[in-house]
Order: sequence, then structure tokens, then C-alpha cells
Amino acid sequence: MRRLLASTDFRAGFVEMLPACIGLVPFGLVCGVGASAAGASWLAALGMSAVIFSGAAQILAGQMLAGGAPIAVIVLTCFVLGLRFLMYSAAMAPYLKALPARWQQALAFLLTDQAFAAAIRRFNASDDPRGGAQHFLGSGMALYLCWQLTNMIGFFAGNVIPAAWSLEFAVPLCFVALVAPLLREAPTVLAAVVAGVAVIALGGLPMKLNLIVAGVIGIVAGTLADIARERWTRR
Amino acid sequence: MDATLKLWVVIFVVGLLNYLSRLSFIAVFARRRMPPLLGRALKYVPAAMLTALTLPMILGDPAAGNPMAFNPRLAAAAIAGAVAFFTRSSLWTIGTGMAALWLLQVVS
Repeated sequence: MRRLLASTDFRAGFVEMLPACIGLVPFGLVCGVGASAAGASWLAALGMSAVIFSGAAQILAGQMLAGGAPIAVIVLTCFVLGLRFLMYSAAMAPYLKALPARWQQALAFLLTDQAFAAAIRRFNASDDPRGGAQHFLGSGMALYLCWQLTNMIGFFAGNVIPAAWSLEFAVPLCFVALVAPLLREAPTVLAAVVAGVAVIALGGLPMKLNLIVAGVIGIVAGTLADIARERWTRR
Repeated sequence: MDATLKLWVVIFVVGLLNYLSRLSFIAVFARRRMPPLLGRALKYVPAAMLTALTLPMILGDPAAGNPMAFNPRLAAAAIAGAVAFFTRSSLWTIGTGMAALWLLQVVS
């Protein structure tokens, strides 16, 4: 353990993630506020951030719980939202293949949107799997610690933040930061636009079902466009 | 069901499903190739799901006010989107977006 903490790759990963951690501070605070608004105790709020460890799922689960949605609908919606981890997992798998199972299990737990983006950059830059894994562990742990801390501060002190600061706007901005850089290819743009139009058009559906339905319609639209594009270029 | 129990069930079931999704191809299906159609569809999950989650947060409650009126949140999000597209930096995106919202709220 001490050797790991002293390794330059681990430290580099930890330090390189700190700017992104600062960007996530408002998001973590808002998640803590959301947990308290959903009626969670401090322990349950910590459970949300420490066990779910996904801001998008935490915000959504909090809102749906507060709105009285049944467990099955909450779980299903969060599951579809979390399907992106399946893609991240598949993209990371070749780089982590050579590692012991315990490393794989630990790194999988820390696989978030931000950690994935940083890890893929690092693995593409060098082909040393051990150094890359330590780097990943460092960045993942920086995110994890920062996330627990900001969630707890938000839970206990969120009501001190003036409403005029519009801190809750930092949450959609975090997702804008994730989605906008993806919009470089036509099928991805189509998936986003179709999902966006559908979620507004279906706004009347109960229990936030518009979200999961719009997401699936967007995924189908992107996939069909991808297939159509391939057929077109093959000709 | 008791609200506290319901919350803990959601925490553990959602947490477990998230973890299994994260672990899936790293460990569980490590020896299997992803089916091509699934791989293709999963590429569009972030763009579609995160947009469906985010857009209602930006537009706010459609019942409140005139939908055609100037929306400082939408304008600030568009500026942040351009910053994210070109810089790929979350810190710059959130910083610019928040600053744009504060300015637009003062001006409008």
C-alpha cells in the first residue's frame, strides 16, 4: 500500500484529476442538497454518494424518490442511464486484461465519466499497463474522496448557499461538459437531438418516464444513422 | 413501503447494477467479444441519455412563464456547450457557463 501511494503514476493520476475535481465541487454540493431534499438521513446521503457513486443517477434517484415514483421505475431509469458504463467497461477491458482480478474489481468500481476520459487519454499515450492502472487508481481515488466530501458538505451546509448563485445550474453544465465534446459525428448529433426533442415532447408522461423513453429513442436513432452511414460509404 | 427502507433499497440496487455495468467487460465478460450491434448502440448511450436528462434541467418547468421568452439558462448552456466542444475541459465549461448565467441574469 505504501509503495503504491509512493508510485509516481499513482500520484500523477491523483494530481492531474484535481482540476476536474474542482469542477465537480458544485455538482457534489447539489447532490448533497438533493439527498437532503429527498428526505435522506446523513447516513443515507453518504450511502448514495459512496455506493452509487454516479452524480447523474443520484440526482435522478433523489428527484424520483421525492416525486413518489415506485422502486422498479427508479431502478430501471437509473439502469438505462448507467448503460454507458457498459461501453466504458468494454473500452477499458483491453488495457486492464493483464491485471490481477482484485485490481480489475477495484478499478471497475472507480469507473466514472471523468475517470474514464482521463484513463483513456493516459492508456492511449503509453502502453505500460501497470503504470496506467496506477494512474487510473490515483485519478479514481481523487474523484471518490472529493465526491464524498462535497456530497456531505452539500447535505449539511447546502441551505447556507444563497439561491441567487443558481448553484443547481452547475449540474446541467457538468453534463454539457460531457456531451458537447462528443458531438463531432453526425449519428451522435442525431442521437442527442432526437433524445432532446423527445424528452420535451413527452414531458407529459408520469414518473419521469419521458427520460428513459426519449433516451432509448435517441439511442435507436443514433444506431440506425450509424448503420445507414456505413452502408452509404461502402457503396 | 417505509420511506427510509425504500431509499436504502434504491441505494443498494442502483449501486449494484451500476457496479455490474462497470465491471461487465473488464471482468465478467472479459473473454467475450461485445456483439457488434450492442457495441454500436452503446456508443450513443451517453449522448442520448445525458441529453434527455439535461435538457429539462436547462429549460425548467414548461408550465411556468412564456416558453418563447428569452431564457438565460438556455443561452448560458449554449455558451458552455461551445466552450466544452472546443476546450474539452469541464472546469472551463462550468466556469464559463456559471459566469454567463450570472451576467445574463443581471442584464435581463
